[in-house]
Amino acid sequence: MHKLLSNRITVFWLVAPGLFLFLFMVCFPIAMSGYYGTTNWKGIGSYEFVGLTNYTNILFHDAVFWRSLWHALLLLAATLLIQHPIALFFSILVMHSGRFEKLFRAIFFIPAVISIVVTSKMWVSVFHPNYGMLNKILDGIGLSAWKQDWLGDPQLAIWSIIVVVMWQGFGYALLLYYAGLQGIPKDLYEAAELDGAGRISLYTKVVIPLLTPMVRVAVVIAVTACLKQMETVFLMTNGGPVNTTQFVGNYLYKTAFSSSLYGYGNAISVVFVIICLIITVVMNKAFKKDVGEF
Amino acid sequence: MKTTASARLGKPSKGNKQNAPSPVLKVLLHTVLWGIALLQIFPLVWLINYSFLKSGEFFGKSILKWPEKLEWTNYVNAFTYGSVPKFMLNSFFITMVTILVAAILSVMLSYAFVRMQWKLRKATMALILLGMIVPIHATLLPNFILFDWLHLIDNPLSLILPYIAFSLPISMLIISGFMETIPRSIEESAVMDGCSVFGIIFRIILPITKPAIATVCIMNFISWWNEFIMANTFLTSETFKTLPFSIMKFTGQYSSNYGAQFAVMTLIALPTVITYLLFTEQMSRGITAGAVKG
Repeated sequence: MHKLLSNRITVFWLVAPGLFLFLFMVCFPIAMSGYYGTTNWKGIGSYEFVGLTNYTNILFHDAVFWRSLWHALLLLAATLLIQHPIALFFSILVMHSGRFEKLFRAIFFIPAVISIVVTSKMWVSVFHPNYGMLNKILDGIGLSAWKQDWLGDPQLAIWSIIVVVMWQGFGYALLLYYAGLQGIPKDLYEAAELDGAGRISLYTKVVIPLLTPMVRVAVVIAVTACLKQMETVFLMTNGGPVNTTQFVGNYLYKTAFSSSLYGYGNAISVVFVIICLIITVVMNKAFKKDVGEF
Repeated sequence: MKTTASARLGKPSKGNKQNAPSPVLKVLLHTVLWGIALLQIFPLVWLINYSFLKSGEFFGKSILKWPEKLEWTNYVNAFTYGSVPKFMLNSFFITMVTILVAAILSVMLSYAFVRMQWKLRKATMALILLGMIVPIHATLLPNFILFDWLHLIDNPLSLILPYIAFSLPISMLIISGFMETIPRSIEESAVMDGCSVFGIIFRIILPITKPAIATVCIMNFISWWNEFIMANTFLTSETFKTLPFSIMKFTGQYSSNYGAQFAVMTLIALPTVITYLLFTEQMSRGITAGAVKG
């Protein structure tokens, strides 16, 4: 048995196809980006090496890049402070909804499985200044003064995008908290009841602290998801008006394919990957502290 | 048991209240839940509703509209001018090849990581898991050049290869987590009977890991069916374009056929929504398992 399981040739044939494909499609492209990031290539023609100029420009002189990161941070703040508490609250409600439990879970998650192409198009029509549903509703309830050009206003656009992203990710957050709640043994509720804990203190003092591990998981996922945000922005505003809804993924795409700064775009890709790696590693280190078993 | 205990403690109402909330609270709970559920599902209802309207009926006051007659022409247009059948076939082909190959490669990798003994096991596994952190957007620019060199631009492989590569980390994580729970004794007896490692994998492990493989396939189906950015970047001609592109057919420079657009959007959304509704449990399990371990 042991001999068979440590046969190197077998290991090679098991691992090689997957690993090779992974290296070829994930690692090698990043290395290529690192190379092109040191050039001033415009996508066609010849190019020169410019050393680390692209990288220093991104880090020290590129306001749009930092703005894109700032937007990711805004999105993250909204996700953690608005979406997650609501999702947690609703996961508790769903648990108590009796025979509709499964139905509600399914409905809440549906937006997350619909193509972003569809949801973005849909929200663009909802936000349309003249024909959009949102302004129609405001007209209908007598708040015509509140009507806005939701995606065209530089102040508002980012918040409209944030609402859409939160809407689509809501079911995902809810599912995580719901799974966390399922993991708490039923007798804990009963024990708390016997101790005379009321319904609210049962949740604030017993259940939510026990959910901490799941909250950590949800936070880590939210951070990476916010950093990686691109499709919704690409399809709804393409970063506009004037970069007020720009995110890193969309920015590097635009830089390379619209502004033809291919070398610079690649440098952004590399910085992007490094930022993602650093943040994930730091978060995992910070959250490694063990939590009590139950 | 519980009632006697709480009765003994002189708090008879506490225990009962937890199990059977007061009617008012119950009504309130269901109202809130249905309210948010409606908000989550409303866009889908709206989408389907508008896909049956004439383009002229779009710009009225009301939000939902009972169509005077069901405008099936929208769907006819989607199928003819929008080339929905062709694009849908392309989407199906690309997604199916991806999830099949990804499942096989993940099972092979998982077996090597869980059961086989070799030197670089941990390091290789960590490397592949890092792939979960890398944003797919960072590989768009280098892959464009890479595929250009390999003459793979506008070839289904330009999507299938990166799709498989980016499926591997999460798929491997879920499948190997499942594999760890399989007792070794079955494999040992197979070895006694002279079975090779590949024989073990395909005759014994594959049938047992079916639930995990199903979960992985469903998750991959939904994410790659909905993928847009890579398809938008690497496909240039009509021949291999995927489903989302049929919307573009109706957003012309001079006229927009909104009715047909909504029909196409409904057709894009339905396969994933139906798949999700059929396999809700597998999806939920996969997502939480992947999240907690990752």
